[in-house]
Amino acid sequence: MLLYLVRRILYAVPIALAVGLVCFMLVQIAPGDPINAIVPADAPQEVVEQVRRDYGLDKPLPIQFGLWISRVVQGDLGRSLATGRPVTADLVSAVGNTLTLALVAAAIGFVMGTILGTVAAVFRGSVIDKAAVGLAAAGVSIPHYWLGMVLVVLFSVTLNWLPAMGAGPGGSGDWRWDWEHVRFLVLPALTLSVIPMGIVTRTVRGVVMELLNQDFVTTLRGKGLRRGGIALHVVKNAAPSVLAVMGLQLGYLMGGSILVETVFSWPGTGFLLNSAIFQRDLPVLQGTILVLAIFFVVLNLAVDLVQTALDPRIRRA
Amino acid sequence: MTLSRRALLGATGLATLPSGLMIPGAAAQGERVLRYGISMADIPLTAGQPDRGAGAYQFTGYTIYDPLVAWEMDVADRPGKLVPGLATSWEADPADRRRWVLKLREGVKFHDGSAFDADAVIWNFEKVMNAQAPHFDQRQAAQVRPRLPSLAAWKKLDAMTVELTTKAVDSLFPYQLLWFLVSSPAQYEKLGRSWDRFAAEPSGTGPFRLARLVPRERAELVRNTAYWNPARMAKVDRVVLVCAPDAVTRSNALLSGQVDLIETPALDMVGQLKAGGNRVVENVTPHVWNYHLSMLEGSPWRDLRLRQAANLAINRDEIVQLLGGLAKPAAGVVDPASPWFGNPSFKLRYAPDEARKLVQAAGFSPRNPVKAKFIIATGGSGQMLSMPMNEYIQQAWKEVGIEVEFQPVELEVLYTAWRNGAAHESMRGITANNVAYVTSDPLYALVRFFHSGQVAPTGVNWSHYKDAETDRLIDGAMQSFDPAEQDRLMARVHERVVDQALLVFVVHDTNPHVLGRNVRGYTQAQHWFQDLTTLA
Amino acid sequence: MSTTTATTAAIAVPQPAPARSNGYWQGVARRLSRDPVTLFFGFVLLLMALAIIFAPLIAPHDPYQTSMIRRLRPVWFQDGRYPLGTDELGRDMLTRLLYGGRLSWFLGITPVLIAFAIGGTLGVIAGFAGGWVNMLIMRTTDVFYAFPSVLLAVAISGALGPGISNAMLSLTLVFIPQIIRVSESTTTSVRNLDYVESARASGAGAMTIVRVHVLPNVLGPIFVYSTSLISVSMILASGLSFLGLGTKPPEPEWGLMLNTLRTAIYTQPVIAMLPGVCIFLTSMCFNMVSDGLRSAMDVRG
Repeated sequence: MLLYLVRRILYAVPIALAVGLVCFMLVQIAPGDPINAIVPADAPQEVVEQVRRDYGLDKPLPIQFGLWISRVVQGDLGRSLATGRPVTADLVSAVGNTLTLALVAAAIGFVMGTILGTVAAVFRGSVIDKAAVGLAAAGVSIPHYWLGMVLVVLFSVTLNWLPAMGAGPGGSGDWRWDWEHVRFLVLPALTLSVIPMGIVTRTVRGVVMELLNQDFVTTLRGKGLRRGGIALHVVKNAAPSVLAVMGLQLGYLMGGSILVETVFSWPGTGFLLNSAIFQRDLPVLQGTILVLAIFFVVLNLAVDLVQTALDPRIRRA
Repeated sequence: MTLSRRALLGATGLATLPSGLMIPGAAAQGERVLRYGISMADIPLTAGQPDRGAGAYQFTGYTIYDPLVAWEMDVADRPGKLVPGLATSWEADPADRRRWVLKLREGVKFHDGSAFDADAVIWNFEKVMNAQAPHFDQRQAAQVRPRLPSLAAWKKLDAMTVELTTKAVDSLFPYQLLWFLVSSPAQYEKLGRSWDRFAAEPSGTGPFRLARLVPRERAELVRNTAYWNPARMAKVDRVVLVCAPDAVTRSNALLSGQVDLIETPALDMVGQLKAGGNRVVENVTPHVWNYHLSMLEGSPWRDLRLRQAANLAINRDEIVQLLGGLAKPAAGVVDPASPWFGNPSFKLRYAPDEARKLVQAAGFSPRNPVKAKFIIATGGSGQMLSMPMNEYIQQAWKEVGIEVEFQPVELEVLYTAWRNGAAHESMRGITANNVAYVTSDPLYALVRFFHSGQVAPTGVNWSHYKDAETDRLIDGAMQSFDPAEQDRLMARVHERVVDQALLVFVVHDTNPHVLGRNVRGYTQAQHWFQDLTTLA
Repeated sequence: MSTTTATTAAIAVPQPAPARSNGYWQGVARRLSRDPVTLFFGFVLLLMALAIIFAPLIAPHDPYQTSMIRRLRPVWFQDGRYPLGTDELGRDMLTRLLYGGRLSWFLGITPVLIAFAIGGTLGVIAGFAGGWVNMLIMRTTDVFYAFPSVLLAVAISGALGPGISNAMLSLTLVFIPQIIRVSESTTTSVRNLDYVESARASGAGAMTIVRVHVLPNVLGPIFVYSTSLISVSMILASGLSFLGLGTKPPEPEWGLMLNTLRTAIYTQPVIAMLPGVCIFLTSMCFNMVSDGLRSAMDVRG
């Protein structure tokens, strides 16, 4: 068990490094001289040369990558071209905001999805099942930024119940978990939750349905076990694969919130990315992608480990 | 999680300022707060010289800081004029007109309590003009250097007098000083000589102090009760600037009561906004929405016929309609009512057939169109409905045989491209920019674009236009200290500019703002500069 | 938008039924013909495909012709001369939607097709060859798999700059690793089947084994999986355009239209929502048809 854990963790290291390499290459594949992607276009020549030396841009690519990684490991992601601020500073608050949004959206999606999926599986073939399946399909097919726009028109503008934009009455700097602040989270989180809702519904429905069909449930029933007992068994057996799906979903939400954040001006990583793209602010783009991708790698690892702990059979596979 | 985040924020120096001011929402009882949804994607630079163009001066320029020579911003019914700021007088030495002597205002204090004097002024010129100075700030310098093209030297005469020398005689020089703001040397020293930290805890002499800054989100300005100018004492206690670059989001925020006023509403939502009890205010604004055409070798726009055709192919009335009537068709760089308009013989109008003929004469046609690539803004203050307008004009040109491809970028990127000029390496293949211009004075409307001495990156003669006669007229105006003569010469310059169709003139903005019911008063100046102290 | 997970999350390792024959395909057709839901959605897709292919014949107007006089007019404007009204520049909505569908469909299908070809090939090679070849291909795949799909698409498009070809490139790169994973695992399980082992033992060449035994068994599952990616691709592509990273104006494309019509949401809510409805419908149809195919072809996952 321990050996497996160590192996699994060690395997994540080269992946993380390779992810770093991909992010590093983003600046290289951008059209034009990479120096133009790191210093402001109107910087004087002496500044340009200084940066070129500091970043080792006159050296071969592998060495540049080494230099870059060593800076990244120390938490230095460079400076934003647009604002001149260190990228790391902006990222810290942005990642926090995105995490808040993604966690709440995931929670809504997971709870809804689990309920819908279970109900659909138990009442297989009924109208309820069909409605749940339809809802799940709609959840994954709908362009959710569009849904966000519709929700704003309904709840912010027409009914005036919830705010249309932003992260709290005082901005995101002083986020608190009270209604004054959480109000701002409701619409973006709901919008973002439709995807995990759809996917978790499908997964839970499939898993539970299969389990209900299996012999052991019949046996349990035969043994006269009551509903509660059966449910417990089903939960125990369904948990590993459902958890895996949920873990991945959380990661996807972190990386996929860019559109929702744009629609709601939610000051997270997606919002940061969006403005970085239009300012051609590659240090910010690069830093944000790197942090999100590493987060995803770590999350994947965590999911694997939890899954293994819950279901020892996987280790043997 | 929140806890650790805040701890991290503190560690990176982002959570700003004295703790007493840190708690928003918990504003003191009876404090009057107005929240202003602004069209910028980020709070403009707060260290002294704002970035993000002329429209940013109203937010982090003239609020926190003061210029030496100021603009009269609290009148709405006529254009403003130059008024004393931190300098009480400015005069060109009759013996040598290049030497300007400025008397400084006594008794002014920075927000940190230190005194304003000639040393502070010289220190600030060094900050942006002298790359060798220890406190030189590249970011502020990049913003203001192109705005001070005439300045050659600066010198302290005594504790309250400074002397500025221009490169050549320039009677219009005081207009350049509008853009130069004064930050506190003492605060910079106190914060360990870091412009990053200064930006978070700035200190100027202005009517507001910065109480809180959340980059990309908001800035909170509180009234400076010790401000030196009683006429510009802020009427509200606190103004909160909220970044909302998307016009629809911004308008939604006003409709749902999240902000109290906004600039540049989504025009299709104006009806909705009015129905909600909000007021739309607008005013004549010295502004022209245009395409500045490159005159460099290889640019198709070196051909006068194509420049004229591009101007004649546009139906400006329809564009005004697209803008919900909140605009005015352009007849030149400035409005015909301006003293510098003159009497150009090329009349801007919609004449597609004539345009087609001109294109044909230049050797092109709708089947074999002349092709060009323009750099444009995705939006932002002054750019109006950037994308739809560009798209509309693109279609109109296509019909006469001009095929334009756009490279849309964020406004700040466009500004950089603009300051670099058409010959810069990053502008390869691009033959026009779409920065909407402020045209408030002769320098800003004409001189900086069309004098050969202003070729970018010195000034913002983006297109590298060089014309001896135009230079001669401008030089004449700059050497004349007689306003009537200045006006006459500038009108001649303007006639040349329009007759040569150096820009594609489209419309003038009226800079619409929408005030919620909560706003009792606001004076909108006829300028891109606005005075937030007039908010009530 | 991260609908990718619809399929990846269920970590679809489709289990191929051994040896496909004519009988098998007849069975698939029979099962499909008895599935009214799939047939219905398939029919809708067919109608839409025909409409956008023949857009120049059907469309009542020029998709680029602007007019400020008739901007943002309601549905059925001028007694049906503008059946779906006009957009923010006075262009006919129906025409724009028809032409817009061309780009949206193109951006939805092409990246998947290319990824199907490249990813399928690499996956089969990895699965069949095993050893260090497998190692090389699969570990590289792992790296790209370590990015959430939306993020990867945004990163690549963002670095390369806006434009259709860059958007297509980034979408293709997003799908290749996903298809490689599916085809590799399917191929591996086929390779280990007894009869393939015996074919190999009897000295059949690698190409022959791939052609006769592997491809017929793995193409189905890869194909089904790929069809499920089309709706993902469509939503991703429209999302990129919505952000300004895909299509450039004035080309009509549903995502971009949705973005530019946002400001009309109060004056003409129906019109502002139409492009979204189109994206939703198409993506829903592709999803349902893909599901139907999956069960008809008896691919588990």
